[in-house]
Amino acid sequence: MHDLSKQMTRSSTPSAAATSHRFGRITLDVRQSLPPWKQAVFVGGSLLLGLAISVWILALAGISPPQLASELAGVVSADSLRGVLVQAAPLILVGLGASLAFRIGFWNLGIEGQMIFGGIFAAAISIYEIGPPSTRLLLMGIAAATGGALWVLLVAFLKIRFRVNEIIATLLLNYVAMYFLFHLLYGIWQDAKTAFPQSTPFRPFERLGDIGYGLNAGLLVAIGSVLLAGWLIHLSRVGFYARFISANPRMAKIVSVPVQAVTLGLIAASGACAGLAGFINIASQEGRLTQSFSNGYVFSGVLIAFLSRNDPIVIAVVGFLIAVLFITGQTLQVFYQIPFTMVQMIEAIIVMTVASSEFLVRHRVRWIR
Amino acid sequence: MNDFLINWIANVPVTAVPYALAALGLIISERSGVLNLTAEGLMLIGALAGAGTCLTLGGYPALALLVAMVAASVVSLLFAVLVVVLRVNQVIAGLSVVFFCQGLTGLIGTLAKWQNKQIAGLGSLTIWPLSEIPVIGRIFFMQDPVVYITILIFFIVNFVLFRTMLGLKLRSVGENPAASDAAGVSVTLHRILAIVAGSSLIGLAGGYISVVSVKLWVTGMVGGRGWIAVALVVFARWAPWPALWGALLFGCVEALIPRIAAAGIRVPQYLMLMLPYLATIGVMIWVGAKDRRDSQEPGALGQPHVREERR
Repeated sequence: MHDLSKQMTRSSTPSAAATSHRFGRITLDVRQSLPPWKQAVFVGGSLLLGLAISVWILALAGISPPQLASELAGVVSADSLRGVLVQAAPLILVGLGASLAFRIGFWNLGIEGQMIFGGIFAAAISIYEIGPPSTRLLLMGIAAATGGALWVLLVAFLKIRFRVNEIIATLLLNYVAMYFLFHLLYGIWQDAKTAFPQSTPFRPFERLGDIGYGLNAGLLVAIGSVLLAGWLIHLSRVGFYARFISANPRMAKIVSVPVQAVTLGLIAASGACAGLAGFINIASQEGRLTQSFSNGYVFSGVLIAFLSRNDPIVIAVVGFLIAVLFITGQTLQVFYQIPFTMVQMIEAIIVMTVASSEFLVRHRVRWIR
Repeated sequence: MNDFLINWIANVPVTAVPYALAALGLIISERSGVLNLTAEGLMLIGALAGAGTCLTLGGYPALALLVAMVAASVVSLLFAVLVVVLRVNQVIAGLSVVFFCQGLTGLIGTLAKWQNKQIAGLGSLTIWPLSEIPVIGRIFFMQDPVVYITILIFFIVNFVLFRTMLGLKLRSVGENPAASDAAGVSVTLHRILAIVAGSSLIGLAGGYISVVSVKLWVTGMVGGRGWIAVALVVFARWAPWPALWGALLFGCVEALIPRIAAAGIRVPQYLMLMLPYLATIGVMIWVGAKDRRDSQEPGALGQPHVREERR
């Protein structure tokens, strides 16, 4: 009761953005709570607004909405849905990777670098023919996850030991990873036959093929990871610890939650997911190590984790939708010469509008005459 | 060996200017309490706007640099509205703006067919007779005008930030927004002003890359320099002059790469290209490892101010 009366006096104080009194003024109150359906309306509305802005920009770039609609219909039609599902696998994994790190407040923006190192580790298994053919693919997957995890743990070490900001460190290491990939692809790993900056193609047993019903094995890996992460976050002790640590790290330490182990474990899992995404990309789509298999995944990971509020199960759904966006982007690139970076722009617009809707969820804006 | 050294050092200002201007722009914005990660994107906007102006008008590099500044400021308004008015998480908003700018500049550059087209650009200024002094003349008195203007800008910004009322208000808003608000200083206004003013310098940094140093537009040509500038701000501990020395350090590293190739020293080129990024991480480790008591990090960096939530 006391709190409520304090709140009443607080919300009646004059507000920040007061305009001319002749037209009344705009006041701002901090909301105590908002029914879930209203929150959904705000988030849904902002999502639609973001999409509308994107459609408008594409129209300015020369793709009319009817053209766009027919391209979209083509993408989700039965025969190209296969492509969408293949594309969904790495996107779900990068979304999962980003979300696992975000859960304990670690900004992993090095997803592209971790994908590259996942790809390099997997390709090394293939190039140096490690292990018998029957277990080669499994070995490549494990190597990829290890590569991605090691690349992000380097930053985790720098953060813990030297307080290096992980946002900048992970972003900068993307460039380092890219140049290391170029060093290999223009050097010792270059395919001698084609002289292109690519590795030699993987053998058939080193590729992720179809597993029936038009589904790619990569998607199976992604769904498996989603279920594992869902169990980890929602059912296991680790998920509880992660919530505890991000809410109050000092208290977590005092009641002897294994802070260091959980933090490092989730960061490593985040890198491992990104590494697996790199492996799936080269083993299912390209069939060899290429220069650009990780392009455009950093912000996709951030977007998918952000829109699904770090919930592993929702990530699978959002990842699929972003895959539709990716394939549409590739179609527009081929038929309308729209650069693929357009996909990043649309992703950024959606993040901006949805993040802005939070303002309406938290504040009540009123116009008083 | 002497030639190698002189060539190298004479090229340092050209590679250092983008870092210096971008870091200074970020310092202005962060001093007002806004954690600014937008440099990479706004530099791209500046670079595209500068190159586009030069290609459309066929010259006028000075005007192109001005357009680059204005364009970056206009786009930064988007960031300002997101973080200051709508109180979006500053990391999320900054990243969105960067990737929005990457997409937008890629789109415009391709549709307008500005890719890979040579620009006349801005020549260097020869300050005769000082330029005739051996060694020193080449290094100090044969640079392009922007190099000299950059030093002037550092003096001006330093003066405004630390010797004027406007600078005091701007820093107080970054140090303790609630107290500033109570004292009648508009937090919203000063933060927006700081973001827009800082972003014009970031735009100039980008325009400098495309118009003066590289003299053409390529998609994504800023190549991580914006992120290095963000790290440079931490290295400089939010103070302008150390940022200039830091920029010269990174300029040295970047200018070294083509010099080594030109001198015919055989080193793997892609491993050489990693140098600026590795140097940045090295510097950040050095900053983290030593004592930070004299840091001027703004007290309220990264925190949105909501008057109604004031305690």
